[in-house]
Parts: sequence; C-alpha cells; structure tokens
Amino acid sequence: MNLGELKKQADLSYDITVAKKNALERAKSRQIIAYNEHLFHADEQTICLAKTLSEHRDKFFVLDCNENPCEITDPADFLHKLIERNQESLNAYSQIHETFKRR
Amino acid sequence: MSTGVLLYCSNTPTYEYHKITERCVDLIKKHLKLEVTIVTNLQTFKKFKPLGMINYKLIDPELGNKRANGEQWNQLERCFAYDHSPYDTTILMDCDYMCYTDNLLTYTNIDDDFLLHDKIHDLTGKGVYDFRNNSIIPMLWATVIIFKKTERAKRIFDMVKHIKNFYQHYCNLYRVDFPNFRNDYAFTMAVNQVNGHIQQKFLPGKLPTLPDLAKILQINDTGVVYQYEDRIAEIQDQDVHLISKELPHV
Repeated sequence: MNLGELKKQADLSYDITVAKKNALERAKSRQIIAYNEHLFHADEQTICLAKTLSEHRDKFFVLDCNENPCEITDPADFLHKLIERNQESLNAYSQIHETFKRR
Repeated sequence: MSTGVLLYCSNTPTYEYHKITERCVDLIKKHLKLEVTIVTNLQTFKKFKPLGMINYKLIDPELGNKRANGEQWNQLERCFAYDHSPYDTTILMDCDYMCYTDNLLTYTNIDDDFLLHDKIHDLTGKGVYDFRNNSIIPMLWATVIIFKKTERAKRIFDMVKHIKNFYQHYCNLYRVDFPNFRNDYAFTMAVNQVNGHIQQKFLPGKLPTLPDLAKILQINDTGVVYQYEDRIAEIQDQDVHLISKELPHV
C-alpha cells in the first residue's frame, strides 16, 4: 500500500466533503425568501405544500420560518417565487458540484 | 422607511479594526447598497481612508473589557445601537462580517422587529463552536442583528444595558463561564428575559464563520482564501464572519 497516495486521497476526499457542505449551506442561505413580510425556506417541502394547497384553495395560510401564520392571497405568485429561488440556488450549487467531479 | 447598516469600530493597541471596517464597508456598498453608519472614536476616525458617503458617530468607547488572553477588547457599546441608529430598520453587524451576497437584504423586508442567529456554520468543517457546556441557555450570535425601532426592540436593548451593568450577576444566573463581557451572551440573556425565559424567533439559516484557527491568505472581490492545518480552501460568493484578526495584513 502506498501510504502517501492514500493520505493524498483521504485529504482530497475530506476537502471535497467540507467544500460540499459549505456549498450546500450557501444554497440553503440563498433559499430564504421574504414574502408578505414573512420569511420562508424555498425548499422542496414549502414548494410541495404551496403547490398542494394552491390546487384546493384560492387563499390559504402557511407557517413561516418562525412558525408565524401568513396568509397567501396570490398562490401562483408565491409558488413562482419559491420555485425561482429554489432553482437559482440549486443551479449555483450544481455548478460548484461540477468542480468536485474534476478534482 | 429607512434601512441602513450600523457598525462599531474602535482600534485597540493590538488590532487596527479600522482596516477591517474599510473592507467591510466596501462589500456592504457593493452587495447591500445600503447607507452605512460607523460608530467610532476620534483616534480611529482619523485613520479611516475616504470611504465615500458614510455617516460617522463619534463616541468615547468604554474601556475595561478584555479577551481571555488579556488583550484589550472594546465591545461595550453595542447595547446603545438602538439609540445610535438613525434608521427605521437597522442591520447591526460586526465589522469582521464580510457580505459577499445580498442575503441580509431579505431580512429587512419582514415584520419581525428583532432577529439574530441562533445557529452557526463552521466553514472549516471542524465544528469548533460548541458552547453547550458554557451556559444553561443556548448562546445566540450577536454578530448580525436586524432590528426595527419598536418598543419590543427597545426593551431588549435596555435589557442588554442592564445586563451589562450587572454582568457578573447574570453570568451566575445563567451559569455563563466566560468571565469577560460578551455581547453574544448579553443579547442571549436579554432576549431570554424579554421573551419570558423562552427563546423564540431567530434568523433562519446559520451564521457562516471562519474560526480563529484558520489563517486568512487572501481576500478578493468574491471571497476568501484560507489555510487550516495543512489545507488551503476557498469560500466564494458566501457571507463570512472572520474571527481571525490577521485580516488587515492580508
């Protein structure tokens, strides 16, 4: 076993893991949006909730990041903003993720 | 409704904080595009390079606070931020918090009147910030505080002033084992008191922080290059709280 090569690979693996964690944290920070003076995570859960509720109601209530209720009066606009920010952040994350593959 | 950034900066015999603040202001202007007010003392004010349209408020900083290693640590004025801020909505931040995004702007468009971080993200991946055993309440981070001029926000700042005056008593009450005055704990205790001993409403997300052990090698327009142990890494387009005060020399 070439210990030098092993250490090099282990270090590389560690560096990629930390960089990936940081990039993911960056994406999560970017996913926070303000809507109707409330903060929301534009993550898959919020998007699914908004999509589901918008199929059954013209207006509905959701809980924000601090569990305060917020009335959504324009579900289409809310959903559009969530998806837009979600995809913007994941697109940026995807570009960083590509650099990991090249290492 | 006015929105702006409030920074506190006064040099110590050990560190030239004005150099850190100059970098911080450049990034605020670039990414947040907000008005900036710097609260400083006359000696530090004289050392600032021309920074464009900046509001300065000159004070005589209270001395006496020290770091664990005995160095002078001027961090006793932040409890007056409510009085010092000329804005309706204020982003009160440490001058070593570098804004590489406009994420903080999101927090200014909400109806909550006082928010700060309760979670931290250690960018080195080592998880060096674990204060669970240092007090009986989870520590909040006073690095970035978003507040509005409301009665509740005023009560919190008034409570911080009170805690500052009787700091040792409150440290005993909450079993805080940091002997020096820390704004993080002062605000944690104040929020806890004003909220009826229940912590609630925080900034979502985590405070991205580069610990003191990481040596900063380069700061450019888009990020920071640092060395930790034998590794060199880079943070791009992400806000970062730099603990290392070697920053002015980079």
